[in-house]
Amino acid sequence: MQLKTCGISDIGLQREGNEDSLLVDDSLGLYIVADGMGGHLAGEVASKVAVEMINKSYRKWLGSDTPEDELFGHPDRSLSRPGNYILSSIRLANRIIYEMAVEYDQYHGMGTTVTIVLVTPSLVVAANVGDSRIYMVRDGRLERLSRDHTIVSEQVEMGVMSKEEAASSPLKHILTRNLGSAETVDAEIFEIEPSDNDRLILCSDGLTDLVSDEEILEVTKKADDPENLCRKFVQMARSRGGHDNTTVVSVFLDDMGKRRGVPVKKAGMFLADFLVSVQKIKKKFGK
Amino acid sequence: MGRLILMFNKQVIKEYPFIEESVTIGRHEDNSIVIDNLAVSGYHARIDKAGSAYILTDLQSTNGTFVNDEKIVSHKLAHGDNIVIGKHVLLFVATQKGKGPEEKVTLDKTMLLDTLKQKELLAKQEIPPPAPRAPEKIGVVSFIDGSDLGEIELTKKLTKIGKADTSEIRLSGMLMGTTAATISRRPSGYVISFAGGMTKLKVNGKVVKESLPLHDFDTIELGSYRFQFYQKEKEVPGS
Repeated sequence: MQLKTCGISDIGLQREGNEDSLLVDDSLGLYIVADGMGGHLAGEVASKVAVEMINKSYRKWLGSDTPEDELFGHPDRSLSRPGNYILSSIRLANRIIYEMAVEYDQYHGMGTTVTIVLVTPSLVVAANVGDSRIYMVRDGRLERLSRDHTIVSEQVEMGVMSKEEAASSPLKHILTRNLGSAETVDAEIFEIEPSDNDRLILCSDGLTDLVSDEEILEVTKKADDPENLCRKFVQMARSRGGHDNTTVVSVFLDDMGKRRGVPVKKAGMFLADFLVSVQKIKKKFGK
Repeated sequence: MGRLILMFNKQVIKEYPFIEESVTIGRHEDNSIVIDNLAVSGYHARIDKAGSAYILTDLQSTNGTFVNDEKIVSHKLAHGDNIVIGKHVLLFVATQKGKGPEEKVTLDKTMLLDTLKQKELLAKQEIPPPAPRAPEKIGVVSFIDGSDLGEIELTKKLTKIGKADTSEIRLSGMLMGTTAATISRRPSGYVISFAGGMTKLKVNGKVVKESLPLHDFDTIELGSYRFQFYQKEKEVPGS
């Protein structure tokens, strides 16, 4: 497995601080973007805490190969073990931000979105809460691996509002879920099989407010490496007003061991499989 | 703080100070603002406070909700807005409290709707949320090749199909890949992907080398195995 990655967070042109946080951890294959909200420095704190907590708890559980039942909250049986680590780490981060917001006046009302991508040789886990997004470009097509938790997008899903109305709605920034506002949180989480040449993008709404899905696809297809891609996206957001913080993390997958295995090794494996099968048949019919 | 002034035929009927986080408007008596008129739905519209803004949402009423003669689904209320519900008019008055000139609301910033309040409200109303979501469905593969595998529910987010012991669906065969194919549940629905091995993956007779979204009753072939994909409503335990 080979990963080429980059993450950039840009304050933009109109905000005084940067409330976004990001993580690029190639040793774990863990990538996070969080977009904080809340007055003074609370937004910054919330997004930082989310990123750090998720990183730490995932690392810890992975390191000790913790069984699902010993995680935070009930495990989701539809997920793999790494998927449950991610899910639990989100729950834990939520709880901590929530407790901080309740406990300290200066953090009252703070919260954050979060999007997470975990890449292992056999699995990609994509999770989110809020309106920061995850895109995947595969075979020249763009697919969202996240679901926006906003009033507007929920109305689109229910068929009450068209996508066009949603894009121009003044309500598009009102979230229905985030980390920090309630004791528990439901995260959106998906698992897929990785494939060579997959390109994954995590981003805050500073990008998606100003750059359309079609443009994201075109720019990503043309990009030669993750760093140039991140820079290009940030520059696009800035040239269109940069009204918000813009954070982009891009992950390019290669050598996922699918199809592009070394020919000799593949032939060897095939032969071994063949011999075992022949032996099975012999055992069955022999004597 | 805001106020709502209920009017009929240009006559003021009643004034409602906006105290609660949410206000519902409708014909039924448990609404915060009750309008007893057949043109008004049982639960017609709702106003939520989000930060310092007020957001009006039509609850999929029969006759619709209008603001200043425009039909709305949801709308951020401004001082002086005329909310028309049936033949009644609700005038929205934003009152500033010693905050000087109009406090500009920046909806540009991301904020959170008080979801708990929202849920409580929906629960109290005992109506399904507007356009109830289709009951959750689960994918199923049904083997039609005479093997004894029968029907298998895709209970995992990612179902691995292949020779490996860890596969959710184990298939044998000399040329079968350790993981030959996967079916993943994504925001857009179920997608099947070829994963590896010498056995070809076919969907409706066509070879799939990468990924393909699955539709009900697609026929999938992996070597001598043949199975159909479809989705059924998830059984809720106890119902």
